[in-house]
Amino acid sequence: MKTNTTLRKPQFHRLVMLVSALAAFALASANAQVTVEIIHYFNVEGQLASLSEIQKEFEAANPDIKLRFTFVPFGELVSRTLQMAAVRKPPAISAVDNPDVLRVAKAGILKDISADVAKLKVWEDIYAGPKAAVSEGNKVFGMPIGSNSLALYYNKKMLTDAGVTSPPKTWAELNETVKKATKSPVYGIAFSAVNDEQATWQWEPFLWSNGGSLTDLGSDKATEALQLWVDWVKNGFASKDVVNWSQGDVPNQFLGGRAATMVMGPWQLANVEKSGLDFGIVTIPVPKEGEKPVVPLGGEVWCVLKGDPKVEEAAMKFVAFTQEPERLRKICDTFNYISSIKSVAKQQGEAKPAIQPFVDQMETARARSQDGGAKYPEISLATRTAIQKALTGQASAADALKEAAAKIKEVLAKK
Amino acid sequence: MKITPRKLVLEASPYLFILPFVIFCLILLLYPVVYSLALSFREATVETFVSGEMPFNGLTQYQAALADPIFWRALTNTLLFAFFSILFQFTIGFLLALLFQADFPWKNFCLAALLVPWVSPILTAANIFKGLFNEVGPINRLAQLIGLGPFPWLADPSYALPATIVANIWIGFPFNFILLYAGMRSIPEDVYEAAKIDGAGFWQRVGFITLPMLKPVTVAVLMLGTIYTVKVFDIVWIMTGGGPANGTHLLSTYAYQVGFSVLNFGEAAAIATLLVLLVLLLNLVQFLLQRGR
Repeated sequence: MKTNTTLRKPQFHRLVMLVSALAAFALASANAQVTVEIIHYFNVEGQLASLSEIQKEFEAANPDIKLRFTFVPFGELVSRTLQMAAVRKPPAISAVDNPDVLRVAKAGILKDISADVAKLKVWEDIYAGPKAAVSEGNKVFGMPIGSNSLALYYNKKMLTDAGVTSPPKTWAELNETVKKATKSPVYGIAFSAVNDEQATWQWEPFLWSNGGSLTDLGSDKATEALQLWVDWVKNGFASKDVVNWSQGDVPNQFLGGRAATMVMGPWQLANVEKSGLDFGIVTIPVPKEGEKPVVPLGGEVWCVLKGDPKVEEAAMKFVAFTQEPERLRKICDTFNYISSIKSVAKQQGEAKPAIQPFVDQMETARARSQDGGAKYPEISLATRTAIQKALTGQASAADALKEAAAKIKEVLAKK
Repeated sequence: MKITPRKLVLEASPYLFILPFVIFCLILLLYPVVYSLALSFREATVETFVSGEMPFNGLTQYQAALADPIFWRALTNTLLFAFFSILFQFTIGFLLALLFQADFPWKNFCLAALLVPWVSPILTAANIFKGLFNEVGPINRLAQLIGLGPFPWLADPSYALPATIVANIWIGFPFNFILLYAGMRSIPEDVYEAAKIDGAGFWQRVGFITLPMLKPVTVAVLMLGTIYTVKVFDIVWIMTGGGPANGTHLLSTYAYQVGFSVLNFGEAAAIATLLVLLVLLLNLVQFLLQRGR
């Protein structure tokens, strides 16, 4: 039996040689190159193809730097980033969802890149919202890859059939539209109020356009914005199931002909176009004519982590590389982003008129972390509970929001 | 006595054989549990976690958890979820096991078919149930056929918990069935024959022979069932995410939310520890009840 389990001598020698050769090779290449590890949750084919294309171009231009993209599920990106930093093996870059940037920065693991971004041409041309998402005072904790937001998609035929001649611009018109367009089994509007960040995010356009704030949910402005939603559900203009619909479910309702309008982002545009449905997109309706819609910003941010200065420098090189206008335009197009850079966004709107409403909204769009900074995630949690309570009739909009406001006050009082 | 290498190998080999298992236990079972327990007594938030200081703050985390009404809602939900799940899983499993003591055509095929819920991925099953309980889904359409509904199954906190329980019963009953079925097969046939000769009817035989002789299996099934059910996470997370209005949060989903959404790792660990204590307590109660009888 012994001969079977033990390697014969020549075999053993060969193995030793192989292992040492590999080790030597690894050491040699490690000395010559800096590896920039980037953790992210992009998993759509187009996005991955685009990332590997950028990688090829970047590595060709910078032979001494190697990029390594590591996929992490969406829900785990922040905790994984923290965990890696806690064991002193931080990734070079983490592609953080923008409302989380300030919270991650608060852990003290992100590099302040204000001096580096100041050197970028595009930095002067950035919209105020995306800039706020990555800034705290004079410090800058990341560079937005691109932005997205929410607008109103509508089914042209359904609106015409219902006698609505032009898409809604104000809340009054929106109420009228959803009422007229509701005809069983078709609902006037579909949106997502599921028990996670999506509910808060979908409600923010209405809250903020009405002049409200998540840090002051006890206000009439907030109640009015939530009452708008509650009335739709109570009157049957929107399905009761909205509290269980994610943003993945909403387009199915719209494309399946069960909703005449939907609150949705630019990432669904290709999908809706492909379906052949005759549709249009308008900016989020505002309380009164002439007001500007204020929508929340979505989108990821390149955050450079503190670590080996050589790696930091290489990481920043990569970030700058992605921000060269032509390349940025390409990235934003494949990632369904509206660029956070004004001139690039303008080009996108000209090339694709359907996304113009999203581009228009960029001027006034807000970063979610502008309500509560690093505490935004906790504030959002209290808010969505209120939204769900009101929509399911557990409490009136005003009472649900007052309860949330009290909870948020507690959160803000914590150090 | 001289220690020869051969002797040493012989002496040491039993320990070497169990060494992989011991290492496995220490690293993959004991370490996470102890770490989580330690975490529950520390202030582990975003800042302190990364810096590594995580100051000890005693029972603060537990106090914070117990002071939150959502915790109590989640605890009640967990108990209701476990009780009704196990009640129906066991009853259905038991009745099916009885049925399968008889011979009938296609029996083996049916036996295999009944195990489908148990082997189907929970992700798939939960998403299918989410579709079934949809406002325009098949369950509501059936209800409307007989003049009821439509019910806001997953859109109303008071309906959503029962809906998730139904899904869990479907997933869990085959486990009960197969163990009880095997248990019943091991009861000797002559006991039943003797009872038959004495004139015992079918339900008398079930009540006086099957149930008592099945007791060891029953106890095992109920204990395992309790453990499985109290720690259920995926079904509820996929079907409702703990909503609407926190109406379906279980301790497991609530701990996850506190840990990975709020990033308060300390409090999440405290809730998880309480969850483990609950499982131990429930099993202790079952153990005592069984001994008392």
